[in-house]
Amino acid sequence: MNRQEAENILKRTFDIDRFYNKQWGTIEKILKGERVLLIEKTGFGKSLCFQFPAIMFKGTTIIFSPLIALMRDQVKNLNSLGIAAKCINSEQTPEENSQIMSEAKEGKLKILYIAPERQENSEWIEATRQMSLSMVVVDEAHCISVWGHDFRPSFRRILNLVNLLPKGMPVLATTATATKKVEADIAQQMGGNLTIIRGNLMRENFRLFVIKVNSEDEKLIWLGKNLSKLPGSGILYTGTRVDTEIYSKWFEYLKISSIGYNAGLDPDSRIAIENGLMKNQWKCVISTNALGMGIDKPDIRFIIHTQIPQSPVHYYQEIGRAGRDGEPADIILFYNPEDRDLPEAFIEGGRPAIPKYEKVIEAVKSELLGERELMRRTNLKQTQIRVIKADLVEQKIIREVTIDRSKKFEYITGAPKLNPKAFEELRALKTADLEKMIGYVETTGSRMKYLCNFLGDSDNRFFKNCDNTGLQKLKVAITPDWTEKLQAYRENYFPELKVETKGSNLVNGVAASYYGVSNVGAAIHRSKYENGGDFPDFLLRFTLKAFRKKFGQEKFDMILYIPPTKSGELVKNFAIKISQVLKIPISHNLRKQRQTSEQKVFENSYLKADNVRDAFTYNNPTEIEDKSILLIDDIFDSGATVKEIGRYLINSGAKKIAPLVIAKTVGGDLT
Amino acid sequence: MNKDAAYWIALAHLPRWGRLKINNLIIKFYHKNKLTPEDFFQLSVNDWKNNYDLEYKEIEDLEKAKSELANSAFLAESLLNEGYEIIPITSSEYSKTLKDNLKVAHAPALLYVKGNRQIMQEKSIAIVGSRNTSEISLRFTDNIAKLASKEYKVIVSGFAKGVDKQALDSAIKYKGQSIIVLPQGIMTFGSGYKKYYKQIIDGDVLVLSTFHPKAPWKVELAMARNPIIYGLAAEIYVAESSDKGGTWSGVIDGLRKNRKIFVRKPEESEKNANHLLIQKGAIPIDFNGKTIKDYVPVENKDLFSSMNEPMADYEKKIIDFLRNGEYAVKDIIKKFNLNISEKKLRDFLKSHKEVEILNKKPLRFTLKRNIEQQKRLFDQ
Ligand SMILES: Nc1ncnc2c1ncn2[C@@H]1O[C@H](COP(=O)(O)OP(=O)(O)O)[C@@H](O)[C@H]1O
Ligand SMILES: [Mg+2]
Repeated sequence: MNRQEAENILKRTFDIDRFYNKQWGTIEKILKGERVLLIEKTGFGKSLCFQFPAIMFKGTTIIFSPLIALMRDQVKNLNSLGIAAKCINSEQTPEENSQIMSEAKEGKLKILYIAPERQENSEWIEATRQMSLSMVVVDEAHCISVWGHDFRPSFRRILNLVNLLPKGMPVLATTATATKKVEADIAQQMGGNLTIIRGNLMRENFRLFVIKVNSEDEKLIWLGKNLSKLPGSGILYTGTRVDTEIYSKWFEYLKISSIGYNAGLDPDSRIAIENGLMKNQWKCVISTNALGMGIDKPDIRFIIHTQIPQSPVHYYQEIGRAGRDGEPADIILFYNPEDRDLPEAFIEGGRPAIPKYEKVIEAVKSELLGERELMRRTNLKQTQIRVIKADLVEQKIIREVTIDRSKKFEYITGAPKLNPKAFEELRALKTADLEKMIGYVETTGSRMKYLCNFLGDSDNRFFKNCDNTGLQKLKVAITPDWTEKLQAYRENYFPELKVETKGSNLVNGVAASYYGVSNVGAAIHRSKYENGGDFPDFLLRFTLKAFRKKFGQEKFDMILYIPPTKSGELVKNFAIKISQVLKIPISHNLRKQRQTSEQKVFENSYLKADNVRDAFTYNNPTEIEDKSILLIDDIFDSGATVKEIGRYLINSGAKKIAPLVIAKTVGGDLT
Repeated sequence: MNKDAAYWIALAHLPRWGRLKINNLIIKFYHKNKLTPEDFFQLSVNDWKNNYDLEYKEIEDLEKAKSELANSAFLAESLLNEGYEIIPITSSEYSKTLKDNLKVAHAPALLYVKGNRQIMQEKSIAIVGSRNTSEISLRFTDNIAKLASKEYKVIVSGFAKGVDKQALDSAIKYKGQSIIVLPQGIMTFGSGYKKYYKQIIDGDVLVLSTFHPKAPWKVELAMARNPIIYGLAAEIYVAESSDKGGTWSGVIDGLRKNRKIFVRKPEESEKNANHLLIQKGAIPIDFNGKTIKDYVPVENKDLFSSMNEPMADYEKKIIDFLRNGEYAVKDIIKKFNLNISEKKLRDFLKSHKEVEILNKKPLRFTLKRNIEQQKRLFDQ
């Protein structure tokens, strides 16, 4: 097929007049059954390079894609063009996924999007045996490389797959963010006979700003004052989930239309927010960097970071989501010198200590274990286990196997010793990248050029699209009215305790504050661990305020408090005071029936749950029947204790149980 | 080797080709023409036709296999990722014992394994016997496994109930090495891997299968696995055999192929076909595996109660004959000029596992297809 013929079809099916040269260059090779790595900036039109050949081929094209949101977005677009495309993902029911696999087997689908993790699923492997496969695509291929900013171990497997595919089977890998090092890594792993097509990465329509500040308050105030004035709608990226909450509540307080998004939300909420984002439902979506990769929304008009990313590649990838339509987009980065602590901690503490690795290796050597069992054996956090697991798989010390449908870790006979040097190298690289990112803040030259240089784009044009090269610098002005507003917001914002499950009588509760965010944590610590006496009255005031804000006039029949692990009357006395103010009777009948350890000893929620299972009892259970109960404690961490007591009280006939605590820790374990 | 996994999988499971044809093809392109499987699949249909003497139907099969290579790649990736390995017949890691015993005609083109591949290069024995077996056979099995383990010989086990399982358990007990030959695909042994996890990662057990990796357990596969067990073992020990069934036919076939087969000399009170096997050429041994020099043949008609002696002689001929088509008992009696009643022959055929009964009038008998293939493995 020549270009003219192809473009006729292009017009008919995609309503696009012609290919860009690099698109046609790629497509020509793919149609001939070759392998291509395509590096082009976001919004270039990489998808067309596989979507077009996919509809020309007889069978089904499999597209490995790292993000469910991205798959959904592309499938929707294709379907609207009348192209048979579907995706298989973990947020659909198993029945839906099976149905889609059947359709693929029957040859009804031209394009099938799946997550690389699906390769672990035996039903999928079984299904692929009966499909007619025409091409394999790896979208966002930088995830293949450990040197990339978003390495995903499951992509490693896709590479193995690519290497096993027969000659003549077209393979396309695409990415917008590959440094030369990552490019070389991908190319090497994809084996010979690979053509690399690289475009230039400049984005002339960006307006790049850096706002240097000295506190979190300054960020909040600048945004409070200016967010509504920015043209169009956009995304605000924060460093942590807690921050998405704090910023979105702040905007809510200021009545700026916004919504918080993070990977911890349930799929329905996430889909609703993704759809709302497409329709500009809010001025601003506040999110961790999980949102937006690869999404084909043309008119994101601004992207703001309240937290400096780990590297210029991360930053380029994230801001790349703005202004795909080529119209101006404001790209703002806040920087407080303290902000480097977070990525630094991430780089430094991102890897568990070596003895923890050894512990895992020993455990896996002696027994075939799943993740849960491993957590119990080693008392390590799930997050740590996952990092260790990924590293050990990477170093070919263990492998993940599926035994009777459940995943287990298996020791590899004759495996090499753990090589901590590999971690050191990676750490050094990441530290250097972070310095480069801070260099972006400090540079006095063109910021666009700075980023492109880092990514290995050697284009030498000059751009005037940043606050160093012609645009007005942005500054923060603190005024007393805004300081007051912020103060008022802080005193009226109370973290929610999420313990509710569908149909249960245990309902979400509230905390007066986050543990680490204000002076509340310090006050608790003084009373608990430094013989500071009863919890001070301001904590009582705060807690009561939180109660009123969350529960208003809701009626409670009784107050219970969680009996302490060690002796001590702190919580009891605190509960008595609350009972006096709220005029709700208190009962001292909730008791421990066996010794437990302090929850903080346990690193993961399975062990925490084990620690408190059946540990509580109520002296005269008939008292509880049909009662609405307020359950009081000082600190809420994983919620395991509250859930256990809730379960017990519900079994004893309680109508409603709501937890009320002074402080919630940041980042429990399994959320 | 792994790079070519998809190609090997495609070759090894060419439908209805039989091992001889597959192996001959491999010999031609790999050894003679020095092509990799990848090269071979890149050849044009004309090349296949002209240089490989392939018929129309065979080329069609190859083309189909080629179109499914990507599918095999998906399977291969998942297989390799889970720590299974493939060993093609061209590999130096392929068991030499197996190749020597089964030869081109019957050696599988591809082995799927998990565990210590090195085990395949060691001296090996198989201890075989019935599923439902006597206490003494189990004790004999345990003893032989113990002696073998002491001499660093590998125990090949079919993982069936009875003697097979005992042989494996004993090998493990005595810290010997063993090969588990699966009657199913290598990826469907789920709980087995859990059970033998320690032994596998310590390098004491190799799990091996010749079937499609995802094939579930089936009687036919269990039958087809037997020659692999015999093939993998340099020496074969028989703990106990009845006068029909897997052990019996396995040993008979082995003897015909001049394999050295040791049979435990039974106690007087035992009712089994061990004596009969010895009469047919197996070597009698005692409880410790020592050859019994002064063996005196035992005349005991009761042992083969289900058929008389002449029947036993004719069995093979009749079964061979059934391969040609469907026959009524009358036809068979006439053909071989047998001196037995129709009823007796009918009962014999009905009780024979390899015979398929066709519900026609009069009843017709023929050979079960898969069984026929399996038998062919041992015909030289
Ligand atoms: N040749 C073209 N002409 C005009 N628009 C195009 C062309 N190719 C792609 N597009 C459009 O560009 C947009 C971005 O494409 P996409 O493939 O999502 O970009 P990315 O390179 O970031 O993956 C899509 O809306 C697509 O329809
Ligand atoms: Mg894209």
